[in-house]
Amino acid sequence: MALELTPAAVPLQGGLVDAASRFFLDNPDWGYVWSNRDAMLDATVVTVQLTFVSIVLGFLIGLPAGVAEVYAPAWLRVPVETLGVVIRAVPILVILIYMFYVFSVSSSPFIAATFALGLRSGAYQSQIFRGAIQSVGEGQMEAARSVGMTKLEAISYVIVPQSLRRSIPGFQNEFTIVLKDTSIAIILGVTELLGTAEDLFLQQNRTGTALELILAISLVYFVLTVTTNRGLEFAGDYFGVPTGENA
Amino acid sequence: MSDPLLRVDDLHKSYGDETVLRGIDFELETGDVEVLSGPSGSGKSTLLRCVNRLTEPDSGTIYLDGERVSGPDTDVNALRRQVGMVFQDFNLFLHLTAAENITLGLRRVKGLGKAEARERAMEHLERVGLANQASSYPAELSGGQKQRVGIARALAMDPKLMLFDEPTSALDPELVGEVTSVMRELADEGMTMLVVTHEMGFAREAASRMMFLDQGKIVERGPPDQLFEHPEQARTAEFLQRITRLHGGESA
Repeated sequence: MALELTPAAVPLQGGLVDAASRFFLDNPDWGYVWSNRDAMLDATVVTVQLTFVSIVLGFLIGLPAGVAEVYAPAWLRVPVETLGVVIRAVPILVILIYMFYVFSVSSSPFIAATFALGLRSGAYQSQIFRGAIQSVGEGQMEAARSVGMTKLEAISYVIVPQSLRRSIPGFQNEFTIVLKDTSIAIILGVTELLGTAEDLFLQQNRTGTALELILAISLVYFVLTVTTNRGLEFAGDYFGVPTGENA
Repeated sequence: MSDPLLRVDDLHKSYGDETVLRGIDFELETGDVEVLSGPSGSGKSTLLRCVNRLTEPDSGTIYLDGERVSGPDTDVNALRRQVGMVFQDFNLFLHLTAAENITLGLRRVKGLGKAEARERAMEHLERVGLANQASSYPAELSGGQKQRVGIARALAMDPKLMLFDEPTSALDPELVGEVTSVMRELADEGMTMLVVTHEMGFAREAASRMMFLDQGKIVERGPPDQLFEHPEQARTAEFLQRITRLHGGESA
């Protein structure tokens, strides 16, 4: 029995590959996905661009807003807080409609989508940074002021560098949310992942391939999410410093 | 007659209904080492923090080197450049190494170049015996080492006056000595120091004067020997006896 099985192992492997290739490539639905891989790759690039630009825009809004919520005088702090509360209370799809159809921030759907995603992300990032700033002990600010730094210098060189390190876990979450929410740009016809997948099964009357196309883009979202999370974890370790309780 | 280095006139401070300082007057001459003593809540730390305005006094006037440094129209940053502070909880910048803790102020406040700041930081680390820990982060240092870095950070700014806010209270007893000995050297070198501490050994040996505070007022002030041996107020005697029993009159 054992003697018969050992030589059979090689053809069995070939059999698995064959089976896989039959399932994925010979299957006309997966074959259709594969034959459109260039379009899917382009769509992945658009999704990554949307994510990246929106996150950066959100950071440029969220970090100063978070600092303002902790340190700014009331005339600045109250409007910033209020704006944040309002933006966080509105669905992202509604914000997108505002940006494109109501405020017409740009005739480019891509740019309108980054405004919507960036603004909304800024409203959430401000809370990540506010929390991180508040978790830095008050003594850090006092020590910085005691050597003669201005409040702004103390914030820039002491508080913010420590807050950024502390905000990485929250930031990972936010990154994932923005990445996935880029899919709402489909309603403006942006050819990101979801829009492209939909085009591929609607346009050519391939609705039977919807499952395969959606599975394929889900896999791309999954890989992007896991990769960026690992990347941010690595960044956290790389920029991290030893921390103790009472230093 | 030249101005005293520090002059505090009729300083008052309350937090809500709680009055912490009720009219504090005193002067320090250059080279004075004054220990502030008194029970918890007597206002020692508040008084110290009013001097560099980490706490804003309600009323009263403070002069440094003859120049008024209290009031809304004075530059607090300019004041703090001349007054070093050492904190009970060290408050080292946690994201920076020991050397960087010192260079940050030198570079951003004093405007020194990178190399010059580094050199000065190393000199001061050497002075507190920590040159070999220059690239350690605060979390990698013992409490005594952290506080010595804290002292070096303040000293590197070349202050006219050093404020110590219970610098050894957060330390394990066996680490107190390494901090008080640095402070004693500093006193010997002629630094003007205002020190809130319960280390009576340090007070007896290094202080030129002691101030006993209770309920926001100076109860008694004089040379340490006088306060320890012949206090005029019963409260001073009682407190100093109790605190000496706890924190030792022997050198730490």
